[in-house]
Amino acid sequence: MTLNTRARLLACAASALVATGATAETITIATVNNGDMIRMQGLTDDFTAQHPDIDIEWVTLEENVLRQRVTQDIATNGGQFDVMTIGTYEVPIWAGQDWLVPLTDMPEGYDADDILPAIAGGLTTDGTLYAAPFYGESSMVMYRKDLMEAAGMEMPEAPTWDEIRAAAEAMTDEEAGIYGICLRGKAGWGENMAFLTAMSNSYGARWFDMDWNPQFDSAEWKATLTDYLDLMNNYGPPGASSNGFNENLALFQQGKCGMWIDATVAASFVTNADESTVADQVGFALAPDKGLGKRGNWLWAWNLAIPAGTEKVDAAKAFVAWATSKDYTALVAENEGWANVPPGTRTSLYENQEYLDAAPFAQMTLESIQAADPQNPTVDEVPYVGVQFVAIPEFQGIGTAVGQQFSAALAGQIDVDQALDNAQKLTEREMKRSGYIK
Amino acid sequence: MSRAVTPQRKAFNTALAWLIGLLIFFPILWTVLTSFKTEAQAIADPPIWFNFNWTLENYFTVQERSNYFRHFWNSVVISVGSTVIGVAIAVPAAWAMAFVPGKQTKNLLMWMLSTKMLPPVGVLVPIYLIFRSVGLLDTKLGLVIVLTLINLPIIVWMLYTYFREIPVDILEAARMDGASLRNEVIYVLLPMAVPGIASTLLLNIILAWNEAFWTLNLTAAKAAPLTAFIASYSSPEGLFYAKLSAASTMAIAPILIMGWFSQKQLVRGLTFGAVK
Amino acid sequence: MATQHSRTAARLMISPSVLLLLCWMIVPLAMTVYFSTLRYNLLMPGSNPFVGWENYQYFLTDPAFLTALVNTLLLVGGVLIITVIGGILLGMLLDQPMWGQGIVRILVIAPFFVMPTVSALVWKNMFMNPVNGLFAYLAEFLGLQPFDFLSQAPLLSIIGIVSWQWLPFATLILLTAMQSLDQEQLEAAEMDGAGAFSRFIYIVLPHLSRAVTVVILIQTIFLLSVFAEILVTTNGGPGNASTNLTYLVYAESLLRFDVGTGSAGGVVAIVLANIVAIFLMRMIGKNLDA
Repeated sequence: MTLNTRARLLACAASALVATGATAETITIATVNNGDMIRMQGLTDDFTAQHPDIDIEWVTLEENVLRQRVTQDIATNGGQFDVMTIGTYEVPIWAGQDWLVPLTDMPEGYDADDILPAIAGGLTTDGTLYAAPFYGESSMVMYRKDLMEAAGMEMPEAPTWDEIRAAAEAMTDEEAGIYGICLRGKAGWGENMAFLTAMSNSYGARWFDMDWNPQFDSAEWKATLTDYLDLMNNYGPPGASSNGFNENLALFQQGKCGMWIDATVAASFVTNADESTVADQVGFALAPDKGLGKRGNWLWAWNLAIPAGTEKVDAAKAFVAWATSKDYTALVAENEGWANVPPGTRTSLYENQEYLDAAPFAQMTLESIQAADPQNPTVDEVPYVGVQFVAIPEFQGIGTAVGQQFSAALAGQIDVDQALDNAQKLTEREMKRSGYIK
Repeated sequence: MSRAVTPQRKAFNTALAWLIGLLIFFPILWTVLTSFKTEAQAIADPPIWFNFNWTLENYFTVQERSNYFRHFWNSVVISVGSTVIGVAIAVPAAWAMAFVPGKQTKNLLMWMLSTKMLPPVGVLVPIYLIFRSVGLLDTKLGLVIVLTLINLPIIVWMLYTYFREIPVDILEAARMDGASLRNEVIYVLLPMAVPGIASTLLLNIILAWNEAFWTLNLTAAKAAPLTAFIASYSSPEGLFYAKLSAASTMAIAPILIMGWFSQKQLVRGLTFGAVK
Repeated sequence: MATQHSRTAARLMISPSVLLLLCWMIVPLAMTVYFSTLRYNLLMPGSNPFVGWENYQYFLTDPAFLTALVNTLLLVGGVLIITVIGGILLGMLLDQPMWGQGIVRILVIAPFFVMPTVSALVWKNMFMNPVNGLFAYLAEFLGLQPFDFLSQAPLLSIIGIVSWQWLPFATLILLTAMQSLDQEQLEAAEMDGAGAFSRFIYIVLPHLSRAVTVVILIQTIFLLSVFAEILVTTNGGPGNASTNLTYLVYAESLLRFDVGTGSAGGVVAIVLANIVAIFLMRMIGKNLDA
């Protein structure tokens, strides 16, 4: 009797084991809680239908939490994730550490040559692609056509900073709760420093000279920060020092901003009538310049990469290929309309007439992306790569600390000179410690 | 307490207490209300109080996106598991400290409490490395272990202060009457210790449920509790107040309801020996 | 009364807790101390050479360190003052006869059950946000300029949020203590012509002293490591205005991934926390033995 029971139990257990072995391999995907990724999560079924042998677990986190979790995991070889969503900043650094699986031998039919050269350049090390772009972005001016018209002004296609200031002044109407310009103020290397570094490029400033000496004591940085504070203090919304991309997006969608200079991907959100109260009134222009040959726009992509620690490389590759393919774009278009497909990654998308018709911002996005040059981001020569960041591992820490100083200046706690002085000192301190400067 | 007061006085007390109570509770109430609005109504100017189209849509969206029930279950297992194990380990210790106090008992207790002051961020990397090498990352077991250890000092201390209130004379009397040790424990001590143990259990379930540092950093998909669930709703793109409110309501409702239903038990033992 | 036999039994009963905590304390601590002497950055794998005191020197000379230290004390102190005073007042109020006492108590203790992340998110977005928050509407309604809490008064705002979470705990303990107050003593004092104020000072407060100590002890333990509230609301800013020690260590070890410096900061934080602990223990020891 007992024996019998035991045998039956064993049989049960064995069949259960076999069953789990046969059904699926589970891959864990870490991603950001941005709209495009959440849409991808919603379309998981399409992937599992094509790959019945692969199950997907999602870990969707807020950007800062995600970045900390995946970095910690990959650096300790923790093996918690099989696919990670990472930025253009991380890819070259991580690839250099051999932390990523090179994306060669992708599943058949994956068209890697179609990826926009400007984007692919940032993801390639020694000729090998280490991450596949999910969406790419630059930055541009988004403005309210109705408010500009009411102010009797017209936005040039390629404005200067002076023209932006004039437009901000004309559109601001605090009584009505309309602020001429919304810009990032929340501290963080990927928040306010992304904007300010890109802006400083157009002012002829740079992070480091060719000997890695920090340049915050330069006149160019002073001009950048002074003008930024002037814009924000006079024409910006209250509480700007805690506004990042998401906060500004919400403000713009509610019709509280005259202009917003930020990521090109925001274009599809602000023109989406379901979410935006100003959907049909948004115009686009290139990021401003100062006549020095560089515009204040950045270059960024969220990418899918496979950590070297995973044992499920093939399943992970299958997923990466699915999520960054032309078919995925078509799938989103079918479900959500062409205007909502992840932008900025593939040449073919910008040759697709359906997309160009549905997305009034497409041309401006493409031009902005192509106008950014990570290899030569500044007016003067620099020893680093990256438009709105410096592609060295130390940058996250330094960038965020400097961002804190500029955010404090925006909150009115310190003035321009103090902020720049603090930034200079703390950057010098870090760079000395890391051995860049003796 | 039944003191005779004038009706006016009582009315005044009542009004003031209700006013303050509602003010303190208001953020939670507002969150719950907002969770039933649409995103546009959630930020309407002026704010809408009750007069909106109540919708469950946010809850469906949240559930669809992040499988609430799995996170919920993980939270239950982790908080209840760590608390039960913690109490099981702590009862003998607190018992011994309370009834057989030695010279070092007080120091020992204080030392235990001081381990609570270890800042978690300072030791995350070592723990992460240890967990990786023993395969405890993203497992409920791993979190149960960590949370047990984190809350053990508080558990021991709570139980100790409670047990100390139990009069030793009763034990002696029982012993005189010839009660065996077993009977002594079952019939005399246990009934007196139960309220203390119950409130310790409750308090620690609450603490473990709300612990957000270890639970977020040591999990990925499989063992992630509600604290990780919330981390995917903080400042996403676009309007999010209603969805955030729905997710928040879902994360706090179970523990809030448990707390309310058991508040008598919670309060009864929650004295830390402070009442004499 | 305790025999040799029962002492041995007592040791056996205590040892599991002690051994577990000892492991929990010593293993990570030893690793942290060891890491704190290395140049060890997760983003730059390599040999991790021994550098002696360099990490400590670097952490202690960080201009943010002093600010963080002061902020930590302000945060702990501020929340303690608010919750203890608020708790005594609320406790006294709830101790009075009234209608619906049970429901009021439920309302008052509710915030204690809310996870710190959620309460920080709710306060930040739905109340303190200067454009869409309820406080901004209220200010507009009253014809005032909306106040930007998190950038103009970041530390104060965080103290407010944390106090909201801990006020119920203080109130509960103090209320329980108050209920055990001997009514006859109070009435006798009243007969003798003692005013409400002197009754409070000479009878109620001394009676509450143990409960107050307990509240202070428990809350300090949790308040020293306040983290989620800062991460969610201000990220320690603007500048370093709301960075406490825990957050600074976080910035070193998980934002810069400088495990060496982060560990040094962790050791410093542990030492400082233990100094606070010793003070507390002295205070508690006296108060709890009485």
